[in-house]
Amino acid sequence: MRKCSAVLALLLVVQPVMADDTADAEKILKNTVSSVLDILKAENLNKKKKRSRIEKVISPVFDFPLMSKLALGRKHWPCLNEEEKKAFTGLFVARLKDSYLEKINLFTDEAVEFKSPVKVKKKIHMPTLVISKGEEYSILYKLHKSSDEWRIYDFEVQGVSMISTYRSQYNEYFANNGTVADLLEKMKKRNEAE
Amino acid sequence: MAGCCSAIPIPLLLLVLMSSYCCGVDTSLDDDFGDEFEDEFAQKEAQRPRDPFRLYNRFMFRVNDRLYFWVMKPAAVGYSKVVPEGGRIAVNRFFRNITFPIRFVNNVLQLKFKNAGVECARFGVNTTIGVLGFGDPARLRLGLTPRREDFGQTLGRYGAGGGFHLVLPVLGPSNLRDAAGKVPDCFLNPINYVDPIAAALIINAYGKENYTSLHIGEYESLKKDALDPYTFIRDVYERNREKMIKE
Repeated sequence: MRKCSAVLALLLVVQPVMADDTADAEKILKNTVSSVLDILKAENLNKKKKRSRIEKVISPVFDFPLMSKLALGRKHWPCLNEEEKKAFTGLFVARLKDSYLEKINLFTDEAVEFKSPVKVKKKIHMPTLVISKGEEYSILYKLHKSSDEWRIYDFEVQGVSMISTYRSQYNEYFANNGTVADLLEKMKKRNEAE
Repeated sequence: MAGCCSAIPIPLLLLVLMSSYCCGVDTSLDDDFGDEFEDEFAQKEAQRPRDPFRLYNRFMFRVNDRLYFWVMKPAAVGYSKVVPEGGRIAVNRFFRNITFPIRFVNNVLQLKFKNAGVECARFGVNTTIGVLGFGDPARLRLGLTPRREDFGQTLGRYGAGGGFHLVLPVLGPSNLRDAAGKVPDCFLNPINYVDPIAAALIINAYGKENYTSLHIGEYESLKKDALDPYTFIRDVYERNREKMIKE
């Protein structure tokens, strides 16, 4: 009898904590996106400064190492040795940052609307709407909880998930007998071309 | 006591365990790929997309790519230097407004009557108060957003799969269903009733060029994300269409 009520009591305590989680995640995302937009709109900063400031803002919130693993997926990630994993993560994260910044830059002058977050299994999906040049773009951020903090592990632009698209690319690449070494070379070349 | 606890249904216990899992326990992956992540992404990759027209598609993709970089983009850049952005946005709104019949009819065909009504309201307000659609007071003042539908989506809604990917000359990535869907939509576009037909084509081309001038940089940015631009854009197109059909 005591154990039953203990379990029930635990449940009651846990429910409001879960609700807080959503609020936490929402707060983190709103702060991050607003800071990024503010930096973009700042007139007194040049592009380089803007970029490094934005990087500082997004680095703690984006779970870049996880995103690298997910991009290769369970099929391919374990096939890399430690050194290759490190190299891949470095190159992939650099590319992802560039990608996100480029896209955000294309939508500079407008507002962002935050819609209500949706809890999906253990993760939170936060839909936002960017209004730019008279058109609307939906950007959905997906967050998961890592070490007590909510972090972004994927974002969807107009319904297209970044991680999914990278995954299909890498799947196709390896299905066509691409090697890891070649892949790292390609990624290096592309990042240097920036 | 033991008897009591064994009477607690298993799901309840699982719930408790899961909750503690959600609230604070480290879910880092290390060597183990959290099933919840893999499931989320693996579902969408069940099959590799079949692309029987890929040789043709890759060729046409290259043609369109050159067309963009050699013709459309330079023209758009030049045009954007002459016409300020505000003006180009207004022109874009005009073209959007005039394609109202396409959105209206397809919303009705999909039984989305509320959305059809919103489109009507938008058209009415923007054509009158918005002066022939150059403005968008329907969105700005009334919060009415566009409900974009086309015949390809209508077909999709009624179960038609995309069929095979097909890159159309000039128009870009498409698939069998969506390409076929462009035909009835053509009949719903008032611009196509302008006489002579050359004038209609020129007007449409101008609209496309104006739109391009507002989106310079997006295609380039998209390509950079790609190991293989053709497959990347193909997959992005298909995913985006799936999402639009579901909405």
